[in-house]
Amino acid sequence: MATTAVNATRPGPPTRARAWFSRFRERETWFAYAFILPWAFGFVVLTAGPMIASFYFSLTNYGVEQIGGFAETEYVGAENYSRLLDDGKIPLALKNTFIYTGMMVPATMVVALALASILLRIGRAGDFFRTVFYLPQITPPVAVGILILVLFNGSYGVVNRALEALPFIEQGPFWTTDPSWIKPSLAIMSVWAVGGTMVIYLAALRGVPQHLYEAAAMDGASAFRRFKDVTLPMISPALFFTFIILTIAGLNTFTEVYTAYFGAGSTGAEEPEAALMYAIYLFRQAFQFFNMGYAAAMAWLFFVIVMAVTLLNILGTRRFVFYQGAQR
Amino acid sequence: MRLWKLGSLVVVASLAVVVAASIASARVEQGARTLDIYGFGSGFGRGDDVANSLTAHAQRQLGANVEYDNPRGGFNDQAFLTMLASRNVPDVMWVDRPRIATYAARGALQPLTSCIRRERINLRQYRKAALREVTYRGQVYALPAFTNQITILVNPTVARQARVNINDIGTANLRKLQRANRRLLQTDGGRVTRIGFDPKIPEFFPLWVKRFGGNIVSRNGMRAQLNSRQAIAALTYTHGLIRAHGGWDRFKAFRDTHNWFGRTNPISENTIGATPFESFIYNVIANNTPTAPLVPKYFQRRGGRPITMFSGNGWAIPRGARDPDLACKWAKHMTSVPAWVSAARNRLEIRRRQNEAFTGLYTANVRADNFILRRVYDPMGRPQFNRAVRLLYNAPRYAFAVPPSPASFELRQAYIDAINRVLAGQQTPRQALNQAQREAQAAINRNRRR
Amino acid sequence: MTAGAPSQLGPTGTGAATARLPGVAVPERRRLRTPPFKRAIFIALILGLSVLFIYPFVWLISASLKPQADVFDNRLIPRDFANNYWGDPTPGAPGDEALFSLPEVPVATWFMNSVWIGVLGALLVTFSSALVAFAFAYFRFPGRNVLFGLVLATMMLPGAVTMIPEYLIWNELSQITGEGGRFAALPDIGVNTQYPLWVPNLFASAFYIFLLRQFFMGIPRDLFDAARIDGDSYFSMFRRIALPLAKPALIVAFVFEMQAKWFDLIRPLIYLRDTDLFTLPLGLKTILDQFGTGGGGESDWQIIMAGTVVAVVPMVILFALFQRAFLEGISTSGRKG
Repeated sequence: MATTAVNATRPGPPTRARAWFSRFRERETWFAYAFILPWAFGFVVLTAGPMIASFYFSLTNYGVEQIGGFAETEYVGAENYSRLLDDGKIPLALKNTFIYTGMMVPATMVVALALASILLRIGRAGDFFRTVFYLPQITPPVAVGILILVLFNGSYGVVNRALEALPFIEQGPFWTTDPSWIKPSLAIMSVWAVGGTMVIYLAALRGVPQHLYEAAAMDGASAFRRFKDVTLPMISPALFFTFIILTIAGLNTFTEVYTAYFGAGSTGAEEPEAALMYAIYLFRQAFQFFNMGYAAAMAWLFFVIVMAVTLLNILGTRRFVFYQGAQR
Repeated sequence: MRLWKLGSLVVVASLAVVVAASIASARVEQGARTLDIYGFGSGFGRGDDVANSLTAHAQRQLGANVEYDNPRGGFNDQAFLTMLASRNVPDVMWVDRPRIATYAARGALQPLTSCIRRERINLRQYRKAALREVTYRGQVYALPAFTNQITILVNPTVARQARVNINDIGTANLRKLQRANRRLLQTDGGRVTRIGFDPKIPEFFPLWVKRFGGNIVSRNGMRAQLNSRQAIAALTYTHGLIRAHGGWDRFKAFRDTHNWFGRTNPISENTIGATPFESFIYNVIANNTPTAPLVPKYFQRRGGRPITMFSGNGWAIPRGARDPDLACKWAKHMTSVPAWVSAARNRLEIRRRQNEAFTGLYTANVRADNFILRRVYDPMGRPQFNRAVRLLYNAPRYAFAVPPSPASFELRQAYIDAINRVLAGQQTPRQALNQAQREAQAAINRNRRR
Repeated sequence: MTAGAPSQLGPTGTGAATARLPGVAVPERRRLRTPPFKRAIFIALILGLSVLFIYPFVWLISASLKPQADVFDNRLIPRDFANNYWGDPTPGAPGDEALFSLPEVPVATWFMNSVWIGVLGALLVTFSSALVAFAFAYFRFPGRNVLFGLVLATMMLPGAVTMIPEYLIWNELSQITGEGGRFAALPDIGVNTQYPLWVPNLFASAFYIFLLRQFFMGIPRDLFDAARIDGDSYFSMFRRIALPLAKPALIVAFVFEMQAKWFDLIRPLIYLRDTDLFTLPLGLKTILDQFGTGGGGESDWQIIMAGTVVAVVPMVILFALFQRAFLEGISTSGRKG
């Protein structure tokens, strides 16, 4: 091969680096790079470059005047970051986002697991119902946002009509106007779209070897014990994974809430603070007020928070995860 | 492999589109001057006859050699900022007056000083309060067009049913109003079935503060005064009117079912006792339920002196406009006396044909208003609307406008959020307005520095 | 994160997100021995729950068929079919205009925009991602592991961080290609055009690269080696062997991207201004703002409901056609590897 020939003719220590670089003489390498070119270009132009630029902007007063070219871009140091601390909307938006995520994630997981367990027990019919429960998942988020408004309307929404049919409830909560009920209604609506998580759990449950249950039953373990000691550990990778992903999704919540509660362009009276999610506030600062510098600082704060939460989640739950069989 | 073929087809097709489009766009436009108009085309209701007459007048004045590009959408901050960012701004735009100072402070608008001088525009024809709204740091940034004054709409049927004297339904005596509100409202098992007096907060909060003798921002627009004694009193009082209905949730849930723009509106259905409203509502009601009885009243200060809050829009020229000369002429003619008079005549004609009441046209041009009231207006035998029209034509005398501020969005957002927190029971008026004051002042300070 | 605006990660978007699962056991069809009477109870339970899950759809469709006054009467079968916004009923009646002929909201245009942007974007991203995935699966080249690590890392990146500079790039492009720009002869690309919605799809997407690479790795290497001996070029190998064999995975990628495009609100919200350019989600939001109570509308919920039906139904049809792709995509695409 060409490489060995080159190595032989050029004296010097045959380092790993040299061997590594020598492979660039092969056609295969060049073809491979040609094949990944679309991604590489996208990575540089749409990911890595923007990340660096975003950090730079977070240190400037970049705004609409600067973009439009009628004022100079000024370096303002950490001013945008210190403004994050003064801005009362930031803790509010973070609080809203965390409360919503904190309600949505466990609720989704519990409901998904319950549905999957039932589907598992009804045999072939399960496939049909799996489709039924998956349907909300393919509903566009904007439509979900609209449905929140109509289904949860305090006076004539069908949710309250159903609640008020119960003997002990005279008036249901004003879901869409009462600040303490806005996030619960959002969470309930997202539990409606439980299908994806459920499908994952169903697959995981089907993968639990039957003989483990039989062995447990022979030992006289109760249904609860079988669930706790066999099912949960066996599907823990799926639980772990959905937990991480749902948390990230919850923190990023935008479309449904924006659709339901935030108008286009102007600032209106109908925008409840209780629904202000971090992604929404970020969007508004960036693309409605065009405070790009400040919004870039917000984005970096968000990035750090999401990463930290994800890392904590991974570290905190990893020891409960049981990997069956081949484990790297 | 079909997918592969399809993929290459897509690539080829998109290339073809790109080439075709570039050839098409390469054609150089020439000849007439073009005026790019933005934001004009909403807020007139169906028919747009007023917009059409104004436009026709201005176009006659500007001559034949002008083309117009008016995408008929309403003004939208995000869209405008996008235009600024892409350095592709319209020549002239129709914008709410409270936005003017904010955009002027950001350097996004051109001062009209030279335009006014060159076109010999007589500023005295415009109402003072309206002109103040578009003046920032001593320079005029827009020519004011419509005004929208606020009056109180009383439903006499409800008043009679509740045995409330119509004289007591007003803001001159707040104790009487409180009592009237309690009698006008109706609830059924905790559910609101009729609103007594809707104070319309947060929307009309600045008016209520004025009623209590305060101002939400200092005259020069640089000092927020959201936690003044008067502001706290105004919020406490108006909150009380709503609380009398059994709480904000119940109140709002019922109010959300109201449709002021339909043939079954709160006046015709008797689901409201009284509420302050912008002037355009008379026109809407005259359209939909011309026979519904209603009594228009002034919003009053303590003791009975009328007071009204101005809002409205105007024509501004953004920085970077390609043809500011033409834009200036356009703004001048669109707000001139003949333009308004022709619009009023036209509307009256239409109303006559439909046998509906003409409820006037309210502009920031004093001379136009006077002329319309004296020479054009015709009550057509509808006393309730006639009274409203007389009231509305007199109202500007008592008008004030929220002083322009470099942070009018944030100021507004701050008090809206504060009031929503109070209505939701999360904070007391004092706490909420203290917070709003901090937020608004920080925004003013930030924007002033630009 | 080309296709990963935050909106895609919303709760209903978790479909796309959860498919990244690297740890689901292989599904294995097995009959569970549940006693018949117990099964009956479960089936009853599941039927009840199904009603709960289906009800919003039924409510939605029925509300879209009602006149304004009846929208919230909560009847499932409308009292009055004649006055809705689907057809052109009696003139002067409450619903005397059809949804598709309302001048302010060109629903048909929005629908077509969503369709062509969705199809084009999904084709492009599937093809480009397949190309990249094939490189990572088949070729041995220096830097492969580092680069693949980078691919995986970008999957984790929240879109918010790159959103602003990306906008500025498009904004710059629209200045140089717009009127009076240096490249004014080129078509106008950039802000307020539809290019930002699909052009990023040319550059592959981390999630689909990951998904397709897994699939390509499952194809026996001998097949490729045989083709090499037959004198195939790398590219024709990809075209003739890899792509046809990976068809199921390609369909999964296509369908998922189609769904992501159909769902996306934030990018249209950032980039589009002219009503005629809108895609369906932004159009639907516009309908809500214009006809709902919030933005000074007239509470024409029947129009909003009709618009919502227009957005929901095509996804249901797509799901019916590609149900396997959706479900298999979610549960098996992220098979451990």
